[in-house]
Amino acid sequence: MMSNSMMTMASGGGGGSGGRGSVGGGRSWPSTTSVSASGKRIQKEMSELSIDPPPDCSAGPKGDNLYHWVATIFGPPGTPYEGGIFFLDITFPSDYPFKPPKVVFKTRIYHCNVDSDGNVSLDILKDGWSPALTISKVLLALRSIFTNPAPYKPLVPGIAHLYLADRVKHDELAAEWTLRFAR
Amino acid sequence: MVIENETITSHPNPKDPPRKQSHTVADAAKNDTLLSPRFKSVAAMAGWDEEALLVASLVVEDTPDRQFKRKKRSDLQNFKTPPTNSRRKRRAQKRSPASIPVAVLDLDEDGSTSNQESEKKKTESKVTAEIEKKTEDDEIDTKGSNSSPAIPCIDRLREELSCAICLEICFEPSTTPCGHSFCKKCLRSAADKCGKRCPKCRDLIRNGRSCTVNTVLWNTIQLLFPEEVEARKAVSASSNSESQSKSPARVSHYNVRTRIIDALNSPESESRDPERRSHRNTRSRSFRQSSRGDVSVSRRRELPSQDEDAAFALRLQREEFMEAFRSPNEHGNSLAMARANLRAMASRAVNIRIRGRAE
Repeated sequence: MMSNSMMTMASGGGGGSGGRGSVGGGRSWPSTTSVSASGKRIQKEMSELSIDPPPDCSAGPKGDNLYHWVATIFGPPGTPYEGGIFFLDITFPSDYPFKPPKVVFKTRIYHCNVDSDGNVSLDILKDGWSPALTISKVLLALRSIFTNPAPYKPLVPGIAHLYLADRVKHDELAAEWTLRFAR
Repeated sequence: MVIENETITSHPNPKDPPRKQSHTVADAAKNDTLLSPRFKSVAAMAGWDEEALLVASLVVEDTPDRQFKRKKRSDLQNFKTPPTNSRRKRRAQKRSPASIPVAVLDLDEDGSTSNQESEKKKTESKVTAEIEKKTEDDEIDTKGSNSSPAIPCIDRLREELSCAICLEICFEPSTTPCGHSFCKKCLRSAADKCGKRCPKCRDLIRNGRSCTVNTVLWNTIQLLFPEEVEARKAVSASSNSESQSKSPARVSHYNVRTRIIDALNSPESESRDPERRSHRNTRSRSFRQSSRGDVSVSRRRELPSQDEDAAFALRLQREEFMEAFRSPNEHGNSLAMARANLRAMASRAVNIRIRGRAE
């Protein structure tokens, strides 16, 4: 199912086998090891998520593509996002544990760290990524910006400004958006 | 790979068939490591081709190790006759397996020489499988002796001992200076792709590239989770030959190394290249002969030592001699002739040395 994308990935990590394929008698299997490493890891995370999912979150592959997931986060109680269900798209890069997954909000949200296209400004999804992080931890981090927005590193400065200047107004707007888009 | 070899060679029963296999592996490794990387780089700078390297390795085999003067002295008696090909074969055929003190080292020699090569091919292709089987046996043994059907906190242990990068049980765990352990491979790729910081705590890792295996942890993992380790070993063993040939960073030796490795690994390339195969067989045979009765010498040779540097100058000198020897009758002469001459010269040098020591 994923053979095409896998082969292109393989050229990054396990390349070099093509040049001397004649020697090995057409052995092509070593190049697949680097790929299955990411696939294996994603599968592992999937089973771990099903056993022990983080609170108010769920995630899983969209279709039969292991590298493309969809996740949901329930708006945490006590926040203006309470009661909303927020859908996210998660795309794993081919060298996944070593590069961060791409996370995009599919549900519109009034939040200073999420822009209108759904992009998230979260440190661990960019420079702060570590291969020891998992999707479960990413979801937890996303959930924590629901409760604690980071207005000093905003993606939408207007919302951040309102959050700092008039928290009540901000919360009202956020709750309204949640009601409108996330139910 | 090294660890496997050692565990197997330290097996108490010398007649054990798997041991034979492991020694062919060890031989292959020896052939490969006989020439130190430094030597190879110098050779590349001097513009030596593969043939010259092979010839040089012949010289190396005939060069006594200075480090083992005392031990070697008895061995050197073997060298008194110029070790030509045919003679050695005859000698090998005369020898019966019972008369040999260390039965391990000449398993391929006592049989008929015609079968020998095809047999060797087979054994080489089987080697990895045999090793796996062997380690499996070992682990089953240890498991049986420990008789720990259900360690209560095995799940906690599994969690603790798994690598945060691949989320599986650490395979050949490597521990960072900050105290976190990951698979050696995972840690290395993390250092390559994400910078040299600990994936767990983001501490700077200074030796991120030269990470070593935490042996205590690795042994513990092997004892606790034999099945998982076995599965990963099977995977890594299948890709081992490939990764081995990829590992040398210096591109100039890449071809030489891969060709040698392929010659060792794949039977197809051997049949394609009978000339080189015969070289190698004589090489390995002479090597075994030289190391008979002294296993430690052969094992120590695998490690690059200071002694190699000392021997290096001698080697270069001999190579010069060889060139000088070859040039006058280059036209009608074959390389085999030069090699025989070289051998004779080497043994002469050895004899002189023995005499020098005796005085």
